[in-house]
Amino acid sequence: METFVQSLVNGVLTGSLYAMIGVGLTIIFGVMRIINMAHGDMVMLGMYGAFWAFTLWRIDPFLSIVVWVPAAFLGGMIVFRFLLKKIVPAGELNTLLYTAGLSLFLANLALLTWSGDYRTIKLPYALMPLRPMGIAVPIPLAVAFGMAILITALLYWFLSRTPTGRALRATAQEPEAAALMGINVGYMNVLTFGLGTALACGAGVLLAPSLYLYPTVGQILVAKCFVIVVLGGLGSVPGAIAGGILLGVVESFGAVYVSVPYKDAIGFIIFLLVLLFKPSGLFGVGKS
Amino acid sequence: MKKLLVVAAFFVLALAPWMVRDPFFIHLMIEVLVWTVLGASWNILGGFAGQVSFGHAAFMGTGAYTTMILYLDLGVPPWYGILLGGLAASLISLPIGFICFRLRGPYFALSTLAVAEIIRLVALNWESLTAGPVGLLITTLPPVTFRGESLNWESKIPFFYIVLVIAMGALGATQFLARSRLGAYLLALRDDIDSAEAIGINTVQARVAGLFLSAFLAGVAGGFYAWYLRYIDPDSVFSIALSVEMVFIAVVGGLTTVAGPLVGAVFLVSVAETFREHFLVGHLIFYGLFMMIAIRFMPEGIWGRLRLKRRIGS
Repeated sequence: METFVQSLVNGVLTGSLYAMIGVGLTIIFGVMRIINMAHGDMVMLGMYGAFWAFTLWRIDPFLSIVVWVPAAFLGGMIVFRFLLKKIVPAGELNTLLYTAGLSLFLANLALLTWSGDYRTIKLPYALMPLRPMGIAVPIPLAVAFGMAILITALLYWFLSRTPTGRALRATAQEPEAAALMGINVGYMNVLTFGLGTALACGAGVLLAPSLYLYPTVGQILVAKCFVIVVLGGLGSVPGAIAGGILLGVVESFGAVYVSVPYKDAIGFIIFLLVLLFKPSGLFGVGKS
Repeated sequence: MKKLLVVAAFFVLALAPWMVRDPFFIHLMIEVLVWTVLGASWNILGGFAGQVSFGHAAFMGTGAYTTMILYLDLGVPPWYGILLGGLAASLISLPIGFICFRLRGPYFALSTLAVAEIIRLVALNWESLTAGPVGLLITTLPPVTFRGESLNWESKIPFFYIVLVIAMGALGATQFLARSRLGAYLLALRDDIDSAEAIGINTVQARVAGLFLSAFLAGVAGGFYAWYLRYIDPDSVFSIALSVEMVFIAVVGGLTTVAGPLVGAVFLVSVAETFREHFLVGHLIFYGLFMMIAIRFMPEGIWGRLRLKRRIGS
C-alpha cells in the first residue's frame, strides 16, 4: 500500500510538469496547427538557463524562473515572427520538418557551446526529502509541483477569463471567423507561440533540479510531450493537463509494477493505442 | 546523354581511391555513400509515397543488429549478413506498416517515432540477444581472397567498393520504382489518397510494399555500417537523431528525385564530417540549419531545383 501511494505521489508530482510542457505544445497546435518538434529544446534551454543562473550567480532556480519565463516569452515571439511565420501556411508536414530542423539546430548549438556533459544542480535543501505520513517527497520536486500548478492555473484563468484569452481561443476554433470578428489573428499567433515557449522553458527551469541535463534531453522530452497531448486530445488544454498527470502516474507505476527499463515504452504503447482507436484523445475533445 | 553522365560519374567515383589516398577522404566517401542509401530508403517512403516517417532508424538498427548477431553467434559472414539484415528490416516493417498506415500525415509521422522508440528500448533491454547498452563488437573479420590476394579488412578500400555497389543498387532501385506500376500508385496516393482509393488502388497494400522496399535498403545500409565500424550499440544505430538525419538528407537533396539522396548526402555529410574533424561535436547543427533553409527557400531540394532550372532553360 505504501509503495502504491508513494508511486502515485511521484507520478502526480512529475506529471504536473509534464502537463505544463504539454499545455504549451497543445495551444501552439490548437491555434496554428504547428506540430512543434522544437518544443523539447525549449525545455532544454530553460534547464540550462536555471543551471547557469545557479552555477554562475548562485541564484535559486525557483527564483530565476521569474527572469527566464518572460525571456522565453519574448524569445518565442521573435522565433515565430522571423523563423516560423512564413512556413505555417505551407502545411502541417512542412512545419513539422522545419521545426525538426530547428530542434536539431538548437540541440547542437547547445552541444557546441556547453558540451555534452551531464550536469546537475545540487540544491542545499534537496538532501533530505519531506516525510509527510511516511511518504518521501523531494523538496525541489514539491516546490516545482506547486509552481507548475500556479502557472498552469494562471494560464487557464488567462484563456478563460480575459478578453485576449477569449480571442485566442476563438482563433483556435475558427481563425477565419475570428478574423471577421475583428480579432488580429497574426498577433494571436505570435502571442500563442510566445506563451507556448514560455511554458516549455518555465517547466525546464522547474525540472532542472530534479533531472540530469544534457543538450539532447529535448528529444526524449518532445517524444513524451506528443504522448501527453495525444492522450488528452491534440489542441485541448484540459486534455493536456490530464494527459500529463496520467503519463506521470503511468510511468511511475510502470517503473514499480512492470519494469524500470520499459517504463518509457509503456507511454509509447498507450500513445499508439490511443492514436489508433481513439484519435480524438481519451476524453474525446481534441481535433483530429 | 543523361545515362552517359551517370556512368561517367560512377566511373570517377570508382577510381577515386586511387586518385586521393588520404584515409579521411575515403572514410568521408564511405559515409556519403552509406547516407545516400539511407536517404534513398527514406525517399521511397517520404518522397514517392509522401509518408513522412520519423522512425527509419528502426530499420537501420534491425539490419545492423541482425548482421552483427548472425556473424558473432552463428558465423554467417557479413556479406550475406547485410542482405539478411535487410530482409529482417523488411519483415519487421510489415506489422509496423499495418499499424502506422492507418494514420495520416503528421499522425503517421508521430506514430513511426513512437514505434522506433519502442524498438530502441527493446534493443537496449533485451540483453541476452543484443548485449544491451554495452553493444556488440567484431574483433576479426573472416579472411577473403579476391583475385588470388587476401583482402585487407584494415584498409577502408574494400568497404568503399562494397558500399559503392550498394549505393548504385539503391539508386537503381529508385529509378526502377519511379517507372514501375507501384511507383505510379505511390505518387497517386501521395497527391490525393482518397482519389487514389476511389480509382481502385489498394493504398494500404501499395504503402506497405513501398515501406518493405524502403526498410530493406535501410536494413542493408545498417548492416553495412555495423560491418564497417565493427561496433554498434543501441544509441549508434537506433537513435531518433538518425531517423531525422535520413529525413534531412532526402529533403535537402530533393524529394522524389532519383539522384536527390546522393546530392543531399554529398552536401550535408561532407560539410558535417569536415566540421566534426575540427570540433568533434555538434556537426548536426548544419543539418538543422540547411533543413530550415531548404524548407523555407527551396522545398524541392538542391537536385530538384537544378532540374527545374534546366527544364525552364531548355
